[in-house]
Amino acid sequence: MKSFIIAWKDFKIRFTDRKGFFMMIFFPVILTAILGSALSGVMGETSLPKTTIGIVQTGNDPLAAVLIKDVLKGKDLKDIVSVKQVDSEKQLKTFLRDEKIDAGIVIPSNWSQDLQNGQLKQVKLLVDPGKELKGSIVNTILQSFVNRVVTVSTSTKTVITHSAQILSPNDLKGLTGQLINSLQKAANEPYKSVQNSTIGKRMVSGMQYYAAAMAAMFLLFNVLNGTKSFINERDTETLARLMSTPTRKLSILVGKFLGNLYFAIAQLGIFITVTSLLFKVNWGENLMQTILIGFCYAISVSGLAMLFAAFIKNEKTADTAGGLGIQIFSLLGGSMVPIMIFPKALQTVSNIAPNKWALSSFTEIMAGTTWSDLSLPITVLLTISILSITIGTWRLQVK
Amino acid sequence: MLEVSKVRKSFGKTEVVKGVTFSVERGEAFGLLGPNGAGKSTTISMICGLLPFNEGDITVDGYSVKNNPMEIKKRIGVVPQDIALYPTMSAMDNLLFWGKMYGLSRKNALNRAYEVLDIVGLRDRAKDKIETFSGGMKRRINIGAALMHRPQILIMDEPTVGIDPQSRNHILETVKQLNKEGMTIIYTSHYMEEVEFLCERIGIIDHGEVIAVGTKEDLINRLSGGTVIKMEIGHYNKSLVEELNTLPFVEKIVTKDDERELEIFVNSSHQALGELVSTAVKNNVEVSTIQVQEPNLETLFLQLTGRSLRD
Repeated sequence: MKSFIIAWKDFKIRFTDRKGFFMMIFFPVILTAILGSALSGVMGETSLPKTTIGIVQTGNDPLAAVLIKDVLKGKDLKDIVSVKQVDSEKQLKTFLRDEKIDAGIVIPSNWSQDLQNGQLKQVKLLVDPGKELKGSIVNTILQSFVNRVVTVSTSTKTVITHSAQILSPNDLKGLTGQLINSLQKAANEPYKSVQNSTIGKRMVSGMQYYAAAMAAMFLLFNVLNGTKSFINERDTETLARLMSTPTRKLSILVGKFLGNLYFAIAQLGIFITVTSLLFKVNWGENLMQTILIGFCYAISVSGLAMLFAAFIKNEKTADTAGGLGIQIFSLLGGSMVPIMIFPKALQTVSNIAPNKWALSSFTEIMAGTTWSDLSLPITVLLTISILSITIGTWRLQVK
Repeated sequence: MLEVSKVRKSFGKTEVVKGVTFSVERGEAFGLLGPNGAGKSTTISMICGLLPFNEGDITVDGYSVKNNPMEIKKRIGVVPQDIALYPTMSAMDNLLFWGKMYGLSRKNALNRAYEVLDIVGLRDRAKDKIETFSGGMKRRINIGAALMHRPQILIMDEPTVGIDPQSRNHILETVKQLNKEGMTIIYTSHYMEEVEFLCERIGIIDHGEVIAVGTKEDLINRLSGGTVIKMEIGHYNKSLVEELNTLPFVEKIVTKDDERELEIFVNSSHQALGELVSTAVKNNVEVSTIQVQEPNLETLFLQLTGRSLRD
């Protein structure tokens, strides 16, 4: 019972400390935003490049309107394509040269007038040779549209021509209407015969990675803060005063451990909530997995605080050793740059860093993983916890 | 109530407490007087069960510190020398915390905290953080924390170090009042006047040994020389000191402050003054000031140890 009183006291002291709150909660959120945005490329996130297309349209051809309104400005392409209406081919070329647009399309007047014969007038596509990818994207979009239009037109014409030989004019009229309706409906409906599914893990975005990395790194600060809390209690005689009350040493030690654990859990909980809401970070489909790994990691950092408190005598040493240790472990554990870019040997060495296990587990959960895949990191984190708590408690009780 | 019997404590090869023995009766105010490093705090730490000792025994209400430390801890309230409070917590939160650590329920702790704030005169500052308090106010809350569980014995280890006279007076009056209400007090200090004001019996401790125990009157009566004459001289003269030592009324001479101040223990001040001055003149030594000091604990300590309480 007294352990909980001590733990709550420690939690309140740390939670109401503005400097500590800024350092432990606000700062990691800011760093996540900066690193997640700036270093997203490192994570291999790919998407089609945004492309601006200039269009010269002469007259009011209905097919041209469909191409611009329904295709280029349509919902599927609106995120990557922006359309700029241009007055003349000459101006289009100027825009292209000045890099105001990435590609240009010149639609001839009465573009679709020969469509009943299965033909379209030629569209001119102007591309910047320095923007080959963007040019090829526009070419593909345009080619695909033209092919579809010509195919539908040709098939309709063939059906109607043959039907005219055997059907009465009235029946032919009905068939024509029916055919047009069916083709329109088929063209507008999504493909239902193909089921979309993914194989393998989801890709973790830069923002996701650095959210997990900052969580792992800043929870590590609880080792330093927990150690300092012990030392501070010793230096200010409050530990002596605690020991002059009818409270067992073990209760005091458990209280100090729990206080640190409460804060680490609260810190992680707030961080996950804030990053989810502000940056839409998806911490994974299985919340229980995230909670369990977070809990195991929080226990291990609180245990390590006890271990260090048992061996470090003053705050200055704790600051020096702790600051350096956190930097090394953060680097080694992948909180600064992803472990995957490390050489193999360094990747093996990184296994000594508890934050590495937490970080890799968080990213695994984000990508979608199984409970059995998490058994190793859970075992490692709990082993660190048990060893550090046992050695720390023993040593502190003897001291 | 409290028995300290032949207690010895060593740190490595250094023995810091050498067979300390004294007892304190229920309701008594007992002072432990000695200079810094005399062994007062170590003795207090052993009574509180914070430090193990090598030999002897300490009992409170018949419970031994060695065998029943928890029973003893329930009965005593300790006011440490340093401010043992949480500076970023309010006075009230500190008191509640310490009350709960002594086993009070939240409700009882809350009621008692208000009483304690009244005792130490800081009720209006209950919600303020300790870090905003003056040194004196911190000391008062430091005492208050030890009163939360209504201890039978209040042990105070130099509770007035480094505070202003007003706060010191408030603390001394508070302790005096608590003692009047029946609380047993053990008060350590190197301020003779505090111990004289508060305590009925006094133990004088130096170099880890209790060198005298008794009431103030008992102790002063033990002075072999009844009076101390402080004589400030122009320069030190060895033959002067030797000649003064041969005078029949001189018991002892202690030289201080670059040997320009002599503290001369005499058994008759009336006869001594004239003789001392004439002896100095005879030895060509100028006397700057001469002062007769009534016998007190400081005098006793000086005579017993050859040094001042504040050395």
